[in-house]
Amino acid sequence: MTENRFAATFLVPGGLWLLLLFVVPLLCLLAISFGYTDDLGEAVYGTRLDNYDRLLDPDYLPVLFRSVGFALATVVLCLLIGYPVAYYIAIFGGRWKTVLLALVVLPFFVNYLIRTYAWIAMLGDDGLVNGVLDTDLRFLNTPYAVIAGLVYGFLTFMILPIYAALDRMDPWLIEAGKDLYGSPWQTFRNVTLPHTIQGVLAGSVLVFLPAVGDFVSASLLGGPSEVMVGNLIQQQFQASDNWPFGAALTVAMMAFLMIWMVLYLRAAARETRGAEA
Amino acid sequence: MSTVESRPGAPRPPAAVTREPAAEKPAKPFDRPRFLKLFIGLFFLFSFAPIVLVVLFSFNSSRSLQDFQGFSVRWYETFFESESLRDSLLASVQIALVTMLIATLIGTLLAYGLVRARTRASGALNILMLVPLVTPEIVAGASALLLFTQIGFELSLTTIMLAHITFSISYVTVVVRARLAAISRDVEDAAMDLGATRLATFRLVTLPALWPAILAAGLLVFALSFDDFVLSFFTTGESPQPLPVRIWTQIRFGVRPTINAIGTFMLVVSIVTIGLALLLPRLLGRRESGLKVLLGREGA
Repeated sequence: MTENRFAATFLVPGGLWLLLLFVVPLLCLLAISFGYTDDLGEAVYGTRLDNYDRLLDPDYLPVLFRSVGFALATVVLCLLIGYPVAYYIAIFGGRWKTVLLALVVLPFFVNYLIRTYAWIAMLGDDGLVNGVLDTDLRFLNTPYAVIAGLVYGFLTFMILPIYAALDRMDPWLIEAGKDLYGSPWQTFRNVTLPHTIQGVLAGSVLVFLPAVGDFVSASLLGGPSEVMVGNLIQQQFQASDNWPFGAALTVAMMAFLMIWMVLYLRAAARETRGAEA
Repeated sequence: MSTVESRPGAPRPPAAVTREPAAEKPAKPFDRPRFLKLFIGLFFLFSFAPIVLVVLFSFNSSRSLQDFQGFSVRWYETFFESESLRDSLLASVQIALVTMLIATLIGTLLAYGLVRARTRASGALNILMLVPLVTPEIVAGASALLLFTQIGFELSLTTIMLAHITFSISYVTVVVRARLAAISRDVEDAAMDLGATRLATFRLVTLPALWPAILAAGLLVFALSFDDFVLSFFTTGESPQPLPVRIWTQIRFGVRPTINAIGTFMLVVSIVTIGLALLLPRLLGRRESGLKVLLGREGA
């Protein structure tokens, strides 16, 4: 048996598993999105475009735009918070680097539901902040609450790739920038940022993708006017039991996200090829 | 002019050499804006305040979430005395264990195949393996639910496990593959020169070198599966439901102090698991930290 044949047999279980339990379900989803529900409420396959027409309905279209808007706001905030944090740890972390990095990752391992719930306990109408300050601040059921929940949920995904990029960067490049009389800001803009742009892009995609599809933050922290596409999908698959429409929503979302996924995957695949060469 | 440019071919001089005697320069050339430290402080406050709140109030003797009225473990008693919550905890552990074992096995094999095999399928498989990592969980949850109902597979713990394994395989493959790429092939060739079969070489040479990464990946998968809500939510049966699904139901009914206890308990489980993932590679006599193994950055 050649090495190639030997190693190729190792691909079989994983390949089959991903094919049967990842690709096939996605194809089912695509197929049912052209279907409809019969009089008994059962999902039936078909070749209709009704579900996609419904996406453009004034009831649903704003939800799609809102999801993208919330996710973009989340990415921008994560970048503004995450870059300085990653910068500090990578450059000035010293021997505390590992500890600081662990502290960044730690909250991520608190259950996402619990973390979101903690915000309710803190900023709810009768939560800690209003209790201690004796105020009547309204935080829940606002877009700010939902976006804050998303930022809190996915910030780690932004910090880690930026940290990795900064850690890889050659510090002497900055020295060179200084030698050329660059101000701190110019050096950052023309040297540091371009050298870490891969990390920034990777982080942005890794935050954007789950943020668009999230329904937890909007369900728990938002009200009726903060509904996101994830909430719609969840409702169609559970409460309202209209799977074909839920599938169409999911497919539309995936199609939109596909652009970002392809960009990210191409970069990731290139990087692993580079590491193996 | 700095001496760096005057000696282009020379190895990097220590920082002291480049320092001009009179000029004040930091040890590293990076700028250190003054606001940065304050910013980091605020950041950690922002990340930890809610968690500290949950842990603290899980020991509160009253129902209040506003003032702490005394230490008590009554919410933990409520948690562990409830038979249905105990069943949920058991279900979560079962799911995480089975997911860990199967995903680690399949993911490790896949990693080996992807690094060592050059077939037409492996390029496509390399991409396919990465896709679950960037697919929003709700998409995976909805499509898994659809598949299971289409083939008449009743929703139960098994369906949750199947959904979790599908996602976890990719995590294992990414971690193990990074380790595998860093291992020199010469050792494997040497074993084969000495008459070992391919399988024996894999078992006796490759696998032992991969253990730290496999272990770390397995524990990571355990923590992710134990914590997962969205996939479980879509693929769960009536009962027992895993712990996060129960938390969801409870939160929707309103804020309850028991949630603080459950959350704190899950936090401890996660920290222990991740702590093991970070420490075990070290205990196995490796110099590199578990964090590097997990981030796949060692030897690269």
